[in-house]
Amino acid sequence: MSVPRVSFTDGRLANGLRVIVAEDHLAPVVAVNIWYDVGSKHEQPGKTGFAHLFEHVMFQGSAHVAKAEHIALVQAAGGTMNGTTWFDRTNYFENLPSHQLELALWLEADRMGTLLDALSQDNLDNQRAVVKNEKRSSYDNRPYGSWDERMRATLFPPEHPYHHTTIGSMDDLDAASLEDVSAFFRAYYAPNNAVLSVVGDCDDAQVRAWAERYFGGIPANPAIPPLGDLSLPPVIGLEHRETIYDRVPLPRIYVQFRGPVLGDTRLDALEIAAQILAGGKGSRLYRRLVREERLAQDVALFTLGLIGGASISAGWATARPGVEIERVEAAFHEELDRMGREPVTADELARARALIETDELGALQRVEERADRLSMYATLLDDPDLVNRMLDRYLAVTAEDIQAICAAVFRPDNRSVLTYLPEEMGAQAAEDVA
Amino acid sequence: MSEARPIVVAERPVSGTPRPYEFPPFERRRLPNGLGLILVDLPGRPLVTASLVLRNGAADEPAAEAGSTVLSARALTEGTEQHDAIGLIEVAERLGASLNAQAGWDGYTVGVDVPVERLGPALELLAEVVEHPTFPAPEVERIRDERLADLLQAKADPRRRAEEAYADTIFTLDSPYHRPAGGTQETVEGLDRERLAAAWRRGHDPERMTLVVGGDLAGLDVAAMAGDLMADWTRADGAQAAGPITSASAVGKRFVRVVHRPGSVQTEMRIGHLGLPRRIPDYHAVSVMAAILGGLFNSRLNMKLREERGFTYGANAGFDLRRAAGPFTARAAVHTEATVPAVLDTLAELERIRDGLVTDAELRAARDYLVGVFPLRFETPGAIVGALGGLVIQDLPDDELARYRPAIEAVTAEEVHAAAQAHVHPDDAAIVLVGDADAFFADLAAAGIGPVSVDREVVPGHETAGPNGGDGAG
Repeated sequence: MSVPRVSFTDGRLANGLRVIVAEDHLAPVVAVNIWYDVGSKHEQPGKTGFAHLFEHVMFQGSAHVAKAEHIALVQAAGGTMNGTTWFDRTNYFENLPSHQLELALWLEADRMGTLLDALSQDNLDNQRAVVKNEKRSSYDNRPYGSWDERMRATLFPPEHPYHHTTIGSMDDLDAASLEDVSAFFRAYYAPNNAVLSVVGDCDDAQVRAWAERYFGGIPANPAIPPLGDLSLPPVIGLEHRETIYDRVPLPRIYVQFRGPVLGDTRLDALEIAAQILAGGKGSRLYRRLVREERLAQDVALFTLGLIGGASISAGWATARPGVEIERVEAAFHEELDRMGREPVTADELARARALIETDELGALQRVEERADRLSMYATLLDDPDLVNRMLDRYLAVTAEDIQAICAAVFRPDNRSVLTYLPEEMGAQAAEDVA
Repeated sequence: MSEARPIVVAERPVSGTPRPYEFPPFERRRLPNGLGLILVDLPGRPLVTASLVLRNGAADEPAAEAGSTVLSARALTEGTEQHDAIGLIEVAERLGASLNAQAGWDGYTVGVDVPVERLGPALELLAEVVEHPTFPAPEVERIRDERLADLLQAKADPRRRAEEAYADTIFTLDSPYHRPAGGTQETVEGLDRERLAAAWRRGHDPERMTLVVGGDLAGLDVAAMAGDLMADWTRADGAQAAGPITSASAVGKRFVRVVHRPGSVQTEMRIGHLGLPRRIPDYHAVSVMAAILGGLFNSRLNMKLREERGFTYGANAGFDLRRAAGPFTARAAVHTEATVPAVLDTLAELERIRDGLVTDAELRAARDYLVGVFPLRFETPGAIVGALGGLVIQDLPDDELARYRPAIEAVTAEEVHAAAQAHVHPDDAAIVLVGDADAFFADLAAAGIGPVSVDREVVPGHETAGPNGGDGAG
């Protein structure tokens, strides 16, 4: 089986905007995806959540586009769009019928060039309220919703920007000002800090001409603030443990580890390990904890690839009613430890490879995903061609590679364990002590 | 010296010429035993989706066995006469295939996604699961217990709690839609392998099953492959044609039901009433109306509640169109202090869509979106096969997807208005709120929306009930 190759061209405008184009005329659709090299890791203390709030402001209009009109125009063109913010990036994308491509380029250029022309206190206040409701919906009002924030703080030291979440804190969101928006825009939203990828039913030369027409007049920022040294020791150095009594029906453990950075081939091996441990119903953790010993209601383990010093390997398991969480945790750790002690079997590796091949084939079917990956690999690793090489890298991972990285990552002095228990168990524990 | 170049181009570009697009043509035939076959060749799409569709869903099961259909789908891939559960998973994984089965209200699908060169063995596996499932008792018990634990989790999750309370409120007790498709604690506790197997057999009749296969099928005789594997299938004992589904409204005059969730920082709001079935003459007008009211990002509801008020991360409204009338729902999660204003704003928008014609700009935006997004919606074999399976389940004509775009383009403002007047009824709506009743009850009662009741049920993992616990909606 072969996954179709993504053929692309890669160049820069005079102002530094990197433009990547991949023609594919299979369907009359096109994807535009622009990554800015700015994320929550660029936030200063007291300003957590700001990169994401800023992303919302990017939909509030610019010199020639009214509030909410960006989305209205894209939808009326038959398109879909969104923006996302993460530790290492902020991205914006539009997927459109191919004859509407020029509209998306014009819209993205208008906000890259002139966002501050339309900035108002009302719009900032409105989006601050929206983002605070996003935080409530996605974290504060959900069972187990505080896990991300709690674990992040234990995996990374306070002076490291991965210490805080992308959504940030309510207090910091409240404190964000128009001046903060202007300063952030001027510092980071420059063409030489962005990668524009266009994938689908388009003409390479035409896209480059349009890119020049719409983005070419936007000045570069010669002084993008450099990020400090984010390097970290490969392991945390001790085990963090915390127990929370909360309004949850079933006990659950969250377990996280530091792992190698994105781009390091050892992270490829860690991802295959996660596939073997928890990638579906044939995986080791699911088989043992859910199926055979029936300790857990669900299990998960996955990696979040990051470039700033360390990636995250994260997992969880929810206890079945009546099962002590300690038994769940012990079995979870045993399975991870076993990965570092003995090689996975040839059959396990073959199955993991076959599934990853199918996953890649499925993901890359869509122009949206190809555009996102081209921008990602160009922004984070200066290597957009990784879109074509990652599958081969995954398939090259050996049982020895997996054992070595699991031994290095899944160690007690590199893990953080957060246990949620129903609050009535807390009341019971307090009574027992009294 | 020339003038400095402006930073950006002020002039908005005009669109190019659309490339012709049609929903991919497909071929429909039957095997001698009546099994339907839909093949859609999609050149350049090497990941194939194959999906066997049964017109038998959770709405067709006996009320006392609620959940048996959904759980039978979960158990279907847990063992066959040839393979135990692990064996089955491993065979599929070696093919790089994801074998899956799921059931919803209206139908049941057993499917596989697989690279085209391994389609043959993947179809063999699919056929094995369909013809020889064993529903092993230990696995069925595990799946049943997982569902029971999942029901506990659902009660703690405000979104799921709101969806369940809303369905419980708007549908009569004799409607299957009144309960969750996965069943309730009472019904699930009584499920066993015989009942799950019976739920599966209910739809197992080749005359009412259709295999849909989409992808780059060049050089493959999929019809012959299907014939070899499936032509000798016969009707299972207990198979029966899906009958009519009872769907009726339990809402008379407008009222408010609050499910008290102490300490909630948001209120999950559901407002609406009995909606519509999928097969209706004004389907396209309803689609455009729902897009304007609560479907698009710039819908009236989202613009009001999010972009103007900042009450929520997002608000939407729409119809869940099923074989029988599903719910019409406006929904949002709003911060607790905004609960009463958000309800009033939502009711006002439901009134306004009935009150007058939508603007030309609104109409154009909604039609252009629904028409224009079609090629993006159907970019992959999975999406195309899913849409074709939907035609089978809803018993819609073959040209339904091909005529969708011209039909949407023809919708007028008058037709949108007529659809709103016929199908949106804020005066007869139920308002279901899951949140901290103590924080907004007084304002809510004073707002003149309608009678208010509060459920203060004891929920595991939550505070104990107040003194006036347990009064339901009337």
